[in-house]
Amino acid sequence: MNNMAGSLMQYNEIYWPWPIALYLFLAGLSAGCLMVSLIVKFNRFTHNTNSIWDATIKAGALISPLAISLGLLLLIIDLGKPLTFYLLLIKYNFTSVMTLGVLFLLVYTPLAFLYALIIFEREIGLYFRFLIPITNSIRKMANFAKMIEYVLFFLALCVGAYTGFLLSAISKIPLWNTPILPLLFVVSAFSCGIAANILVGILFFKAHLNKENIKYLLVLDLRAIMLEIPILLLLFVGMYYSGGESLISLKAIFSHEFYSKLFWFGVLGTGLILPILIALTALKNHAYKPAFIIINSLAVLVGVVMLRFFIVYAGQVCIS
Amino acid sequence: MKKFVMIHDENLCIGCEACSVACKNENQIPSGVFRVQVHAKMKGVFPNLQTDFTRASCVMCEDSPCVSVCPTGASFKLANGITLIDENLCVSCKYCILACPYNARFLNPITKAIDKCTFCYPNRVSDGLTPACVSVCPTDALIFGDINDNNSEVNKVLASKSVEYPKAHLGTKPKLGFIKNTKGGRYE
Repeated sequence: MNNMAGSLMQYNEIYWPWPIALYLFLAGLSAGCLMVSLIVKFNRFTHNTNSIWDATIKAGALISPLAISLGLLLLIIDLGKPLTFYLLLIKYNFTSVMTLGVLFLLVYTPLAFLYALIIFEREIGLYFRFLIPITNSIRKMANFAKMIEYVLFFLALCVGAYTGFLLSAISKIPLWNTPILPLLFVVSAFSCGIAANILVGILFFKAHLNKENIKYLLVLDLRAIMLEIPILLLLFVGMYYSGGESLISLKAIFSHEFYSKLFWFGVLGTGLILPILIALTALKNHAYKPAFIIINSLAVLVGVVMLRFFIVYAGQVCIS
Repeated sequence: MKKFVMIHDENLCIGCEACSVACKNENQIPSGVFRVQVHAKMKGVFPNLQTDFTRASCVMCEDSPCVSVCPTGASFKLANGITLIDENLCVSCKYCILACPYNARFLNPITKAIDKCTFCYPNRVSDGLTPACVSVCPTDALIFGDINDNNSEVNKVLASKSVEYPKAHLGTKPKLGFIKNTKGGRYE
């Protein structure tokens, strides 16, 4: 294509740059952390509900509202007209995945904060006394709050999945326009949620650390990572057999100087292969070695960030 | 009910960009961005070369991906087939730019809203005029009119020539058709 007069810039821009990639990571992280925190809470304390909250539960309750708040801030900053973001809250179009996401987040975000208030009830009593009326009113509705936790788990799943559907609704971009993408996003969100919960739990909530829980989560994480590799393979194989523009885009991605390296070394090497290697060597037979667990968690987190950047950028750059 | 259709006859187009300039003038489009451009695509092997002039603008889909993804309803369709953007409702999330298979949308650097071809509906067509690009085309390569009016020029062209719709396999049902170039830049 050749321009006879005027610029061709408007056709080749990155319309969704780094804040969106980072938001997709943070939304996944928030949803993943909350899901993992709730899973530990459901599975590990069924008989002993009065036990002191586990470090990984606390970590999840802390990360989840902070990550989603930061993510939403990035999302608003990236708008061409940031001050008009309120229109997204009052005007709905139910065929748009973005509207569905807004509705999920509208319920999810306050509940994530309330969940943090419940988990940190004791700390709030000590340091944030002005929040005590809220925690007291939650305690009065304890039975109801238990039910809300299941709702919250489902909402976290919706938030994790919607970020995938948001991209897969774009038919122009072959890398995004696959039904497998939401699945990939949910699984990687779950995996990075485990990693973040373990990391923050080990670093900040050492007093409540339960080695059995860490082992339980490491096993879960390994399964999630093992699942991510075939999902990624399916994504690319699907693009290959779709032919046409998908095949051209796939070839462009894997022959791209930067994005192919980002995938092989960042997404696959750091995010998926390295944690498996650590799990098979240093952490063999579920040995408890904090240093390696931290490296393992960092690798998973970096890998998931790279995955989001790879999907967002390579998808937009390599169109047929 | 009127249904507006535009046809670009690539055999008649000489790539003079008068349509692009007229559009910028009429709709006050900032420099550097375009609602409509004519792109030249050269193909073949020397000496058997052929240059196609193709129009790049909104094709006014019947089932517009941009309208279905817009989270605030700022992108909307009129009953006469024209897709418009309500600048005041647009939050500029750029979701529609990504969703548009025809790369017809852009961020207006002055209003900060998303902008695109309107077939000049608000400023000309609603007053009974033709779009600015159609009115200036020196070779009459652009044909515009109401498809429901049996005597309109577009209906005559549609009846006598083979008109292709871009990316028809997507099922978006465009209202901008093309008569494909068979001869190259005839007026060159």
